[in-house]
Amino acid sequence: MLSTFLSQIANGLVLGSLIALIALGYTMVYGIITLINFAHGEIFMVGAYGGLATLTYLMPTFIAQRWYFALPVVLVGGALISVLVAVAMERFAYRPLRNAPRLAPLITALGVSVALQEAVRVFYPGATAAIPFPNLFIEGTWIIPIGDGVPIRYTGILLIVVSLVLAFGLERFIERTRMGRAMRATSQDRDVARLMGVDPDRIIVLTFAIGGALAGVAGVLYGSYLNNINIDMGFQNGIFAFTAAVLGGIGNIRGAVIGGLVIGLVKALGGQYLPGGTAYDYVWIFVVLIIVLVFRPQGFFGETERVRA
Amino acid sequence: MAFLSVRDLVVAYGAIQAVRGVSFDVEQGEIVSLIGSNGAGKTTTLRTVSGLLRPVSGEILLNGEPIQKLPAHQILSKGVAHSPEGRRLFARMSVEENLRLGAYTRKDEAGVLKDMQRVYDLFPVLGERRGNKAGLFSGGEQQMLAIGRALMSSPKLLMLDEPSMGLSPIMTQKIFDTVKELRDAGTTVLLVEQNALSALALSDKAYVIDLGRTTLSGTGRELLADPRVQEAYLGEGAST
Amino acid sequence: MTAVTEAPPASTPETAPPRHTGRLAGLLGALAPRARLLGIVGGVVAILGSQLPWATFVLNQGAYPELATLPFGFTGFRLHLVILGLATIVVAAVRVPAANRIVRNLGIGIVAVAVINGLYITVEGGGLGAITAADGAVAFGSVVALIGGVLAILGSAAGGVEPRPELDWNLPLWVEWLLLVVIFVLMLLVVAAALTSGGQGGVVNPYSGAVFLSFLGAAGGAFAGLNASGLLGYVATLSERHRVFSVIVLLIVALGLPLTSAGTEYWMTVASNIGVYAATAIGLNIVVGLAGLLDLGYVAFLGIGAFVAANLSGATASAVGIHLPFVLVMVISAVVAGIFGAIVGSPTLRVRGDYLAIVTLAFGEIFVRSAQNNIGGLTGGANAIPNIPAVAVGDFRFNESITIGSVQLPSGVMYYVLIVLLVAGVMLVFGNLKNSRLGRAWIAIREDEDAASAMGIRTGPIKILAFLLGATLAGLAGAFFAHKTGVVAYDSFRFLESVTLLSAVILGGMGTIPGAVLGASILFVLPEKLREFSDYRLLIFGLALVLIMRFRPQGIVADKHRRAELAEEPEDAAKEAPGPLPTRVEP
Repeated sequence: MLSTFLSQIANGLVLGSLIALIALGYTMVYGIITLINFAHGEIFMVGAYGGLATLTYLMPTFIAQRWYFALPVVLVGGALISVLVAVAMERFAYRPLRNAPRLAPLITALGVSVALQEAVRVFYPGATAAIPFPNLFIEGTWIIPIGDGVPIRYTGILLIVVSLVLAFGLERFIERTRMGRAMRATSQDRDVARLMGVDPDRIIVLTFAIGGALAGVAGVLYGSYLNNINIDMGFQNGIFAFTAAVLGGIGNIRGAVIGGLVIGLVKALGGQYLPGGTAYDYVWIFVVLIIVLVFRPQGFFGETERVRA
Repeated sequence: MAFLSVRDLVVAYGAIQAVRGVSFDVEQGEIVSLIGSNGAGKTTTLRTVSGLLRPVSGEILLNGEPIQKLPAHQILSKGVAHSPEGRRLFARMSVEENLRLGAYTRKDEAGVLKDMQRVYDLFPVLGERRGNKAGLFSGGEQQMLAIGRALMSSPKLLMLDEPSMGLSPIMTQKIFDTVKELRDAGTTVLLVEQNALSALALSDKAYVIDLGRTTLSGTGRELLADPRVQEAYLGEGAST
Repeated sequence: MTAVTEAPPASTPETAPPRHTGRLAGLLGALAPRARLLGIVGGVVAILGSQLPWATFVLNQGAYPELATLPFGFTGFRLHLVILGLATIVVAAVRVPAANRIVRNLGIGIVAVAVINGLYITVEGGGLGAITAADGAVAFGSVVALIGGVLAILGSAAGGVEPRPELDWNLPLWVEWLLLVVIFVLMLLVVAAALTSGGQGGVVNPYSGAVFLSFLGAAGGAFAGLNASGLLGYVATLSERHRVFSVIVLLIVALGLPLTSAGTEYWMTVASNIGVYAATAIGLNIVVGLAGLLDLGYVAFLGIGAFVAANLSGATASAVGIHLPFVLVMVISAVVAGIFGAIVGSPTLRVRGDYLAIVTLAFGEIFVRSAQNNIGGLTGGANAIPNIPAVAVGDFRFNESITIGSVQLPSGVMYYVLIVLLVAGVMLVFGNLKNSRLGRAWIAIREDEDAASAMGIRTGPIKILAFLLGATLAGLAGAFFAHKTGVVAYDSFRFLESVTLLSAVILGGMGTIPGAVLGASILFVLPEKLREFSDYRLLIFGLALVLIMRFRPQGIVADKHRRAELAEEPEDAAKEAPGPLPTRVEP
């Protein structure tokens, strides 16, 4: 009993770290331009395919066979593709709508989301179905010696560690550096940030780029953990990540991470213990989402009430 | 040649022209005020000079160089700082972070630290509470911080939009004294004020903006004495 | 400075803006005196181009339509070009009002036809040789036609494009009525021609997609030309003046579609599906277009209506196992969907804007997941609910064909009639709602909820009512859908369908009565006609959404009264509002 519970906790934490990594991008973009960037989930998906493409088409076998060479290269490859797509998306889809009424960018985001998914499906060889993705880390499972033993795959541990490290680094960046300060200033009052000499366009591009890089890393780690990827992975996990961002108080880095972990645990434990089993685990996440949005839209860590008109 | 010269400025929001012919000159080392009633186009003029808005027509010359097409951050690095109406501090950041943002474009760390100390000397209350969030300060203290933040870019021209808004008479006097000090220390100041009496008393030169146009100009003293100004703006101004 | 100086009265430049600005200014200025001639020459060149060969060799899949390798022909796209060219010549020569504007739009039509056909031949033929010279054959048709179109556009630009004239003639009543009838019948014929261009759907014609696109280009140019002349505006005024008459005629004309070339079982089915989505889109239009509440899970209401109807249809897979008459089923479906609408709408009491969009999305996902898992045995899960019996009146089943006298109507025609009546009814409901007290309250909420609330509008119940009514209409459509298709599966109600519905509303024009129908028609006809590009369908759909938001966010039919949500705001207007920080009380 206990070990079932603990292994579900472990599953939840792995999934939660993944969602947290994606949620960071949501929370940053929303913080800066108050846009729910629906297409962010697709950036995560594109990162996974970009990583796989790096591995399949660009890498000599010598490197590909050794994970400590391959992993960093694939991570960088995936992140790079995601950054490129995210920045292009900002430049060509969202920037022209900067002063448009609020529905326009949201609908544009839906369009970008559909287009990105389809672009991968049509143009990536074999992407019409799920594609196998190799394990890029140490094979096997670590049994945590508690009770009857709690299994967790090494790739899962990698996911948790990388997420926490990146989130921590991001928080330091935003709190401590000049660019981070400019980002916070832009999100609080864009016009006054301009008066301080901040070029908001650059900051917004930077925000999309950072969010894209994190999502790209998440995509590669997801593939490496689940060992296959498909074009639908972005939408679902994107919605979870958005839920996590709201849960943690949108615009709040630490909140997004905690929100992600909570969502991961809800899915894992809900699938185990709530009626309906794993078939309904998604439903519980959406129920959580609705409850949070209705009763505590500022999230658990939101500083101010943010009722967006 | 004037330090800042604005010629026939026209600015519109969509179809509505908020500014339809504003011209004025600011010489180095002067305090120049733009006075006029609410909605006359003063704030719009400042926002256009600092690059937040694009004019429909007209010219803005800084040392003879047209700047009306430059983005705001480039105008700032040419030495024009703008402290906006309503102060608009970064409320969730500390005093020090607000000042750091004021110096965002500067690369000389030593100079930045020196200027920060200068702001703390000018407004000791800011120095005492440099770690506190700006949103927790009183209106007068926030205005000090807003001026300090604008000074951090070590501007040649400081533009202040309604610095006395919402302040008590004592605090207003303190702010205006500071403005005078800054001018004496060599900073040129362009002041937008509804509080015409105090502004004119302080200014080397002033312009009246009415319905989006500059209608009168003269030294502060002359305008104070002008019957048209007295009737239109000082009736209320004198009582505050 | 010695004294107060009074500024001279400001000299706001009042002179008219220069006629030509931008990169082509010089060229256009030089051409201005010859604008008329250019238009005429453009038309002549376009006609000339239409009569030249268009392809240097026969394409792999057969001769391109209208025997493109041969000169001379007055069929298909060549006929369209001749008509457009002649119209250009006449308009440019006669100098009707707004001639330049008309010529410009006709020219765009010519360019579209030339480019679409030329591009297609180039791509299929494997290179530019296909439309220029290769193997001793020359085929400059597309290039020449393109030049003609460009000349016409240049000429119109040089002459200066006039504003669209407002026409209004006062004719005797019967003439106006006759005019309306003729116009609506013409519209029907054009629609039928568009549907069947490139062959009936499903019939193998490798080039049907290109033929259809070319037809669209030509029709679009002609339509834009008519619009530029002010004639369409006149027709709109006319139909507004005789509103009831127009609606009745339009309804009769729509019911006449089965009698045209598009009167086949295939098109009846497509048209019925369009009708289902149009009715649902009108419901969504209440929520999004009128009340300004973005709903991203809307298709769930269609699904709820469909599943309710499926369970009450007597289908063997249904869990309930009772069989009620269709009319009663429709009512029950609508009511159940309406109740769910109120439930989904209730968070609007607390949540606004994009957060509300996410809440509705979550409800939609919960519905799909539950349906997928066959919740309560009501949805059949992955097996769906198949074999739903057709609607029957007495012995006659709606999916059979009928013969009246010597005319045999295609099977499915009764469903078509039913859905046309249903859509008409739904449009009527929407139109009345929009112009009612309730409609004005919704619009007030859409424009500024706080102000509406301050004016005494009870925003909470009224917002929920929008969801309730919208969902009711979708539920009605769902009941029809279940019987028409015979199968209801959770797969038909996924997120993408909600996005498509939303796109239909936006594309057509939010908050307008014809908008949703127009949008739904376009979004469902295009994939049928462009099957050869079906792999790219969703990709194009996604990109189109982005482009529409960028260039025409108000949709095809713009709502006259509409200001906020999607209309362009004046530049920088939003930025001017100063947001002073909450300051504390003075010491």
